[in-house]
Amino acid sequence: MQLGTRRMLDRAFAGSGVMAIVLMGASLILLLAPVFVKGIGAVFFRGTVEHRRMVLEKFGRGDRASVGTEIAESSAARAPVYAAMKAFESELENAPAAERRVLSRNYREFKSALKELLGPIPGELRPMLMRDQYGQTRWDRARVKLQKTLYREEWDYSNPAAGGVRMLKPRALDFAGTALAPVFPLIERDAERMLLPRRTVYWRFLTDDSFDSHFFGGIRAEMTGTFYLAVGAMIFALPMALGAAVYLTEYTRGGWFVGFLRTCISTLAGVPSIVFGLFGLAFFINTVKVSDSKSVLAGSLTLALLILPTMIRAAEEAIRAVPSTYREAALSLGAGRWHTVWSVVLPAAMPGILTGTVISMGRAAGETAPIIFTAAVSVGRPLSILQTFNSASPALSWNIYNLATEHAAVDEIRHVQFGMVFVLVSLVLILNLAAMILRARIAGKMRA
Amino acid sequence: MKVSRKALVGAAAGGLFAAAALAGDAGKIVIDGSTTVGPIAKAFAEHYMSRNPSVVITVSESGSGNGAKSLINAACDVATMSRPMKDSEKSSAQGAGVLPIENVVAMDGIALVVHPSNPAGSLTIEQIRGIYTGVTRNWKELGGPDLPIVVISRDTNSGTYESFETLVMAKQKMFEKVEYVGSNGAIRQRVMSTPAAIGYVGLAFMDGVKPVKVDGVEATPETVVSGEYPVARPLYMYTNGRTRKGTHLHEFIGLASSPEGRRIIEDVGFVPLKQAD
Repeated sequence: MQLGTRRMLDRAFAGSGVMAIVLMGASLILLLAPVFVKGIGAVFFRGTVEHRRMVLEKFGRGDRASVGTEIAESSAARAPVYAAMKAFESELENAPAAERRVLSRNYREFKSALKELLGPIPGELRPMLMRDQYGQTRWDRARVKLQKTLYREEWDYSNPAAGGVRMLKPRALDFAGTALAPVFPLIERDAERMLLPRRTVYWRFLTDDSFDSHFFGGIRAEMTGTFYLAVGAMIFALPMALGAAVYLTEYTRGGWFVGFLRTCISTLAGVPSIVFGLFGLAFFINTVKVSDSKSVLAGSLTLALLILPTMIRAAEEAIRAVPSTYREAALSLGAGRWHTVWSVVLPAAMPGILTGTVISMGRAAGETAPIIFTAAVSVGRPLSILQTFNSASPALSWNIYNLATEHAAVDEIRHVQFGMVFVLVSLVLILNLAAMILRARIAGKMRA
Repeated sequence: MKVSRKALVGAAAGGLFAAAALAGDAGKIVIDGSTTVGPIAKAFAEHYMSRNPSVVITVSESGSGNGAKSLINAACDVATMSRPMKDSEKSSAQGAGVLPIENVVAMDGIALVVHPSNPAGSLTIEQIRGIYTGVTRNWKELGGPDLPIVVISRDTNSGTYESFETLVMAKQKMFEKVEYVGSNGAIRQRVMSTPAAIGYVGLAFMDGVKPVKVDGVEATPETVVSGEYPVARPLYMYTNGRTRKGTHLHEFIGLASSPEGRRIIEDVGFVPLKQAD
């Protein structure tokens, strides 16, 4: 081959390599950027007075006096709206029947939109669901609801061949000439005074209980659930992985049986996680009955099986990397095989083993399929350690999926969903980082 | 030194297990089943737990069929279902020593929903059946735009699917291009984002999609109560045996007929039962 061709090929190869890395970086940014931006919105947002009222009433936090002043202030701003509504209602009673029917239908729509924006109307029966007890707690959501209050969405189907066209009709037109008409410019102008949005940092999102299926509060139950599941999986998997790795590296001399075992472990690593989930249900819950229904314990056991092959592999590699001179030195000093492994080989292999463990923990925290049938529920309390033995718990991975597909009003609480995604991704990132740092540190210490 | 440490760990583990056994079922209700009943179950659970802080209630939404299986395997205390239990399920329950008791908690209509841009305003049961059996494939045939219909259905594990099959399909099979999804929420989102889609959901899942009239009747709590809306069905909570008075389970099931529970059901979007006497 000519030198020129060779060089060209060389360059093409290097170029495609760079391209691949750039593409990977770009897709990583494309994937993670929205997650981070939107996820951070769960903690940093413009909270309205309704948010502060909710936090005060449900969690007992915040300055009672200043929140009280704010509530008074916002009520004062809202008062003219409610007064006009009263006036309109009595006007409505005296309206002619045909007109009244149209007006009261429009009024019902307006009223429910207003209730979503500002919360229950003073003097009405206190609603049962918490989502109806408060107005919008976030200004970004409030703006959406404000639009809904001011404009009626209508679809123009006049051209059946093309499908409908969305139109926004100002509600003010529906009520032109009535006592309600002045309300609309008033709401538009004074919405900020009615809701008093303010920069809010809601760190407690991570540790607050959730209320009314995630409409309010934080993700504490998911956090504790994921924590127990990941730690539990590690507690069960680590001894098994250590035992298997020590056996495979120190106690066998190869042969077809060991080869067979290795193949089994590799196969296990390739089994789809949903299979582990179904196995966990069939074995741990229905056969062994570690708990009488889904539980964190059953979930941890299932996850332990899932991460076991990777952990065995990591531990094996780490043990194999220990120079054989260590073993020889120990043996020559008269130590038995067990003693050698326990006091010389394992400590030397610790950095590698720990790295594998921490990375596997990250995997366990992020897995969804194994816990669907064994541990995860859509609503539950944050558990105490004792309760993990026979109670199921929400967990980040599963509840992200649950919110995205099953929740009846997910559009209202996207920030919670993204908050969970953000926390989960950061958790895995942090665990992996921790593994790297741990490894570097212990390795440094070992050398010294 | 080493031995004592081992003993300590052993004792601690043993103690944990014993304590866990003691903690037992004192205040625990496990609910599994229908995604349609999900909003009621979740709201009830939160309401009940806020009144009884020592009780742990967990809610899973895995479909009516799975709820029934769970109850038969004694893996849950309450199976929420959007269809009555089948004879086959009852007999396998009997085999497992479980006696499923039916508690109706609310009424629901199965609303046929389309994208808001879809001009279709009203369909007859026959037209709907035509769509799901593949006879009608384009909205044009129903007076709409020239778009192939994207037909969405619940999976066969769903009680809503079974009710729909009974009430609408009249023993005819859905055609092979029907898309099956796993929950009411998933249908809602699929229809919301697909202009040519049609799907069916419980009354509490109609935000952002447009319900069409069925045989000229709108799907509202009022038409479901009056019996005018043709695709209506009760929602159930099955328990193993009758609940005993004084237990948390009894109180929980009783919520459905209490004034508070009825208001919750109404507020999440379903139709509460008539006031108990």
